[in-house]
Amino acid sequence: MTLNRSLAIATRIIRQFLRDRRTMGMIVFVPLLVMTLVGLSFPEDGILDYVAPALLAAMALFFVFILTGVSFLRERSQGTLERLMAAPVSRAEIMVGYLLGFILFAAVQALIILLYTIFVLKVHYAGSLWQIFVFQLIITVVALNLGLFVSTYARNELQVIQFIPLVLVPQFFLSGLLWPVEQMNRFLQHLSKVMPLTYSVDGLRKIMLEGKTLGDVWVDLAVLAVFAVSMTMLARLPQFHI
Amino acid sequence: MAGEAQAAVEATRIGFSYGKTVALDGLSLSVPRGASFGLVGPNGAGKSTIIRIIVGLLKPQHGGIQVLGNPYPHSMARDMGYMPQLSALYAELSVWENVDFFAHVYGLTERRRRVLLVGECIRLVGLWERRNDPVLKLSGGMRQRVSLACAIAHQPRLLVLDEPTVGLDPELRVAFWRHFRELTAGGVTLVISSHTMDDAAHCDRLAFLRDGKVVAEGSPAELVGATGSPGATLEETFLYFLRREAGASDVK
Repeated sequence: MTLNRSLAIATRIIRQFLRDRRTMGMIVFVPLLVMTLVGLSFPEDGILDYVAPALLAAMALFFVFILTGVSFLRERSQGTLERLMAAPVSRAEIMVGYLLGFILFAAVQALIILLYTIFVLKVHYAGSLWQIFVFQLIITVVALNLGLFVSTYARNELQVIQFIPLVLVPQFFLSGLLWPVEQMNRFLQHLSKVMPLTYSVDGLRKIMLEGKTLGDVWVDLAVLAVFAVSMTMLARLPQFHI
Repeated sequence: MAGEAQAAVEATRIGFSYGKTVALDGLSLSVPRGASFGLVGPNGAGKSTIIRIIVGLLKPQHGGIQVLGNPYPHSMARDMGYMPQLSALYAELSVWENVDFFAHVYGLTERRRRVLLVGECIRLVGLWERRNDPVLKLSGGMRQRVSLACAIAHQPRLLVLDEPTVGLDPELRVAFWRHFRELTAGGVTLVISSHTMDDAAHCDRLAFLRDGKVVAEGSPAELVGATGSPGATLEETFLYFLRREAGASDVK
């Protein structure tokens, strides 16, 4: 594997996004609008402070999943992925290239959501800002991999959209975003353990509400890393020569 | 090089099915080096499947294939160029950026050389004036030309083209065949799939395909000669072999 080809793929993806001005605008504007509506819907600041870490995690997962899922699927449907796979490029080089290309926009989006939540919605936090951002970045990497994974199993955009209620909505309800996982029945508690958002919400809450560090939440980070790696490995790129 | 004397592509009794649908049924063919080789047949004959096997996108379920003297296409991917049926380009990017990207992933990592070859290629397909235009602003024929440039910029020894002239106007079709002849004159081997006899007439050798099998293989003149009617058109020749194959199947 050479980083050179992955960088060529990443550069090409970045160029494509930058040329699509409407998409670029929506990458910035849509999360702000959604966070504003969600923020205003909470009557008391105290409740928003408690829910904000979970919301940050959920929004990062949601927006990045959509971004990568649809973009990668478009590569397949317009035939460019097949063309790329006929080239002397390995599966690993393609995946790393896509990750590097998408992560820039995912990181920008994550940063916008974070800064807006803290400085405009005035959510209080205890931990350090850069550690919150790094944790959020890790969530975006998981979302990237989840988006790529799902899009390799979908044949069109409609199918990717239908993966949202299947893959994302259960996570919103079972990850501890709305109520503590411990209050759910045992089966749902077990189910929540195989969902990346559970560890995202747990880790981000500990950093933002309890002032813990990235080192303190290493278990959450490790589980998220395992999720990211396994999603990449399970992604069903058209197989064969790679 | 030991492999130079061998055929560019040697397929032996290849079988491939998509689920229960048989696409290739013991297909064998031999593509000589430096020739233009046409895979001709109706839709569903197995042309795209054998093309995808040659470029390494599909793995034969039965039989074997040698590409440029190697048992499996992957190791030879750098020496191959592939133009898929869809133009398969990045619409937001310019003509230059598309050709440059594929040249890069095909191993032209040295920037100066890449710039030279990409420029040469874009001139060759007659799009120099439009090199900075995004592909989405180009007509269908122009996109086909960009797609061809993407397949040849890295100077492959084997060029595999899946229905490259579909949707082209007659003038552009002539221009494409002029490029193809220039390429074979330079020693490049061409494998071209087509369902039109117009394309078939330009090829050095042909394989007529039907139901995943080669029903006849030879130069256009040899194939016409084999019908026993020297004045037969290629279309009539194709139909002759199809009927003969159908008759043989009935006898069996």
